[in-house]
Amino acid sequence: MPDRASAGWRADLDAHLARLGVAPVRRAGIAAEVAQHLEDAGRTALDPGEAARLARALARVERRVPFDPPVLGQERQTLMPTIWQDLRYAVRAARLAPAYSAVVIATLALAIGANAAIFSVVDAVMLRPYYPGMDRIVTLSEATRQGDQMSIAWPTFQDWQARNRSFEQLGVYRNATVSLTGGDQPAERLVGAVASSGVFGATGIQPLLGRAFADADDAPGAPRVAILSERLWRRRFDADPGVLGRSIVLSNDAYVVVGVMPARMRFPSRLADVWMPIGPIAPTFPASRGAHPGLYGVARLRPGVTYAQAAADMDMLARAIEQEHPESNTDVAVRMTQYYDAIVSGIRPTLYLLLGAVGFVLLIGCANLANLTLARTERRQRDVAVRAALGADRRRIVQQLLAESLLLAAIGGGLGLLLATWTIRAFVASGPVVVPRIDLIGIDARVIAFAALLSILTGVVFGLVPAFRAASPDLLSSMKQSARGASSGVAARRLRGALVVAEVALALMLLVGAGLMIRSFARLMAVDTGFDPEGVVTMRLTVPPSKYQDLARWTAFHDELVRRVAAIPGVAAAGINSALPLEGGGSEAGVIVEGRPIVANKAEAPTLFQSASPGYFRAMGIRLLRGRYFTDTDTRSAAPVVIVDESLVTRLFPGEDPIGRRISFEFQGGGHGLANATPTWREIVGVVVHVRHYGIAAEPPYVQLYTPAGQLPIYYEQRRPGMALVARTSLSSDALAAAIRREVARLDADVPVYGVQTMTAYLAQNTEQPRLSVVLLGALGALALVLAIIGIYGVVSYSVTQRTQEIGVRMALGATRRDVLRMVVGQAGVLIGAGVAIGVAGSLAMGSVMQGLLFQVSPRDPMTMTAIAVLLTVVAVVASIVPARRATRVDPLVALRTE
Amino acid sequence: MRSRHVYGTADRELKKGSAELLVLSLVEARARHGYEIGKLIEARSGGALRFNIPSLYPLLYRLERRGWIRGQWIEKAGQRRRRYYRLTAGGRKVLAAQRSGWKNFVAAINRVAGLEHA
Repeated sequence: MPDRASAGWRADLDAHLARLGVAPVRRAGIAAEVAQHLEDAGRTALDPGEAARLARALARVERRVPFDPPVLGQERQTLMPTIWQDLRYAVRAARLAPAYSAVVIATLALAIGANAAIFSVVDAVMLRPYYPGMDRIVTLSEATRQGDQMSIAWPTFQDWQARNRSFEQLGVYRNATVSLTGGDQPAERLVGAVASSGVFGATGIQPLLGRAFADADDAPGAPRVAILSERLWRRRFDADPGVLGRSIVLSNDAYVVVGVMPARMRFPSRLADVWMPIGPIAPTFPASRGAHPGLYGVARLRPGVTYAQAAADMDMLARAIEQEHPESNTDVAVRMTQYYDAIVSGIRPTLYLLLGAVGFVLLIGCANLANLTLARTERRQRDVAVRAALGADRRRIVQQLLAESLLLAAIGGGLGLLLATWTIRAFVASGPVVVPRIDLIGIDARVIAFAALLSILTGVVFGLVPAFRAASPDLLSSMKQSARGASSGVAARRLRGALVVAEVALALMLLVGAGLMIRSFARLMAVDTGFDPEGVVTMRLTVPPSKYQDLARWTAFHDELVRRVAAIPGVAAAGINSALPLEGGGSEAGVIVEGRPIVANKAEAPTLFQSASPGYFRAMGIRLLRGRYFTDTDTRSAAPVVIVDESLVTRLFPGEDPIGRRISFEFQGGGHGLANATPTWREIVGVVVHVRHYGIAAEPPYVQLYTPAGQLPIYYEQRRPGMALVARTSLSSDALAAAIRREVARLDADVPVYGVQTMTAYLAQNTEQPRLSVVLLGALGALALVLAIIGIYGVVSYSVTQRTQEIGVRMALGATRRDVLRMVVGQAGVLIGAGVAIGVAGSLAMGSVMQGLLFQVSPRDPMTMTAIAVLLTVVAVVASIVPARRATRVDPLVALRTE
Repeated sequence: MRSRHVYGTADRELKKGSAELLVLSLVEARARHGYEIGKLIEARSGGALRFNIPSLYPLLYRLERRGWIRGQWIEKAGQRRRRYYRLTAGGRKVLAAQRSGWKNFVAAINRVAGLEHA
């Protein structure tokens, strides 16, 4: 009987444990141990009630952990099913912790989205090769040895072509804006270029249809043929292949279409829609090497020739030409630039800065996620420990935890890509002019690959650290302690602290960068440009040189035009000038003062000269400081006069009254010796404010002077500048342009009016790059700040939860809420302080990175540093006070009983 | 919600916590088998605390699974084969922590209770 009873409870227990999935060996062990206990107690069997309670209790202990994948005895499975299993499990785990998953995904979407967006810009602008072998393309021009760039004289170009040993292809081009007329469509203005065959050879782009220019097209007197852009071909000619051989009218000349260039051909600019050969106009180029008819060169280096070798070759060639033609080429050299460099050099520092900034955002995001995941892993460490105890190997546990973080990273990355797509679309639509290749920016396979790579990397980074910690057997014991709620493991706490410090430091550096940009931008905006842009509309007109060769006719046309424009209702003032503020470039010469000796054959100061009509100053809002503006009587027959700017007065007439003094910047004869030349003296009649001509921030050492448009400087007599028409008006720029076009057409239908813009828009364009930097860096700084706040809040909040018992004991032992608050915030404060200190040190160390991007602000500006450090500290402390206050509401009894 | 849960389970948690402390203390100095542990708790508490088979063995297995104690079948001379439990290094740390926690708890309770009576 006892035997049967004994056998009965054993069989029941064994069956029960088998149903729980307990291994046979283990089942036998448990039965044996219980049997021995019974024997020691002098009993033979468990009574039914006992057996039932034991079975229930064992079910809780021996049962597998609910969300554990079966790991025991499955180590030899092939990899694929394991990965599938891990993924399914990861999906389940993510759904079980929706708040955690949401925070992780949102953080990643923002961080990866920002990175993908910036990468797509960097990729389009800087990384993607555009022309085949783009690093071998160079651009060429002439330049004085003093550094002033000049276009290439036609005979000089022919010498280069015949005598260089470095170029596989050498071409020359001139920008040309033409009007396309004919057919049933309205006339339109096209950006184009007159280009030699070498231009196409140098870029290496094959035509889509027909042919590129050949040597025959370069020969003087060659027939007029034209190549269209793919864009123009599709828009205006409906992509009709029959366009080849058709005749089109460009600026009143008939051209035969011989080819269509694919959209990839964007030389000289992406706006180019039509190319005309150089041969037909070659006979019009001056034969003098001293004349620079707006030609620029582009070349492709011969295979095996380095840039340095080519530069040396061209320098030798320039010196040879200089010796052969001293009268025109003394001190004239070649300027050679790498094409790729020329395109990106302006935007490169900004892009690098932004790339660095988004990298920081990503790192901060990763720190946050590592922290979150670490906390979550610790909460789950029991399960991990059980699995380790059950024999799951460490690699398998790491793999499982990694699968979880990778899944979240993949979702976050996908959303980020979506965000990036929208952002980039909006960015491109806003049409910034400072970003080269803007039309090529978009989300393509390369950007997607980049985002995928980032997602995987971040998934690994924020998943691996906690995974290894969780799977590390050395730390199991300390984690068990933390599970008991005593206090978190020291190593884990240190790691979390380090992550917060890093996060605060990175956010601080980013915010300092943004702060510096904002300060710099404010300085830039505060610059006195010297003119008043409100209500000013400008446009360009080009009179056909052949028709207006006669100076009197040229002057009469412009005078009459200005008179008519000024008479348009709504126009307060109108004028013309040979240059526009902020435009850069321009005509420069040396200036001397009458009655002063010329020292060392040099002028007293370099000057920018412009030719303006009387109304220009009022129209542009350039203030008169002394004397008078020009009047209608300042004509060719009157005494030569000049208006100078305040910088010329400071430089040449310090402490003197310049009105009535005579200066000269025009010299005739005397070769290059200033002392022997004959100067044309002009009397100073007025002093105006200094105008920023070379850009808002740039300030080259040129003083400024204006001659009346009716008294053109001798330099302009042969080669007239294209004039800018300026009107101060209450009309919209479109309405005004229409009215002016009507007036111009009435005067001379052959004169095109183009480049209409308001001066405020032009000013905005000039400040676009710094404005973009401010907006983007500011946005990234804000993002970093938010992420850092989340991070600090999370860590403090977690540590408060972990230490509920300790806090309860402290409060039971007499600590006040104030004490607890001070303790928790104090500990967070130490981390924040360390982060701020490191961040400030980092900002100081990295100051030089921003040097070139700042205007009148030191990259180590103490005010910005202090302000940002204070801001970040305050915000971070506030972020830690919120969870700390929760700690003070802990009920000591409850806190202790949870143990 | 949360606090109600805490109150509801506090009693059970308290018992479980103290039971762990008792077992860990008993195997601190030397390895003991299950029957011996049960007997010692009963004897030393003067019969106030009793652990029978359905509560003792699941507790031992749980502690073992956490790695705080380790059981081993040992056959001593002239005795039956029994499973002896001894404290692991990890268990020793937990024991220390639990002891001080318990001490703090008792002190806290005394303070509170003492204040109320004063």
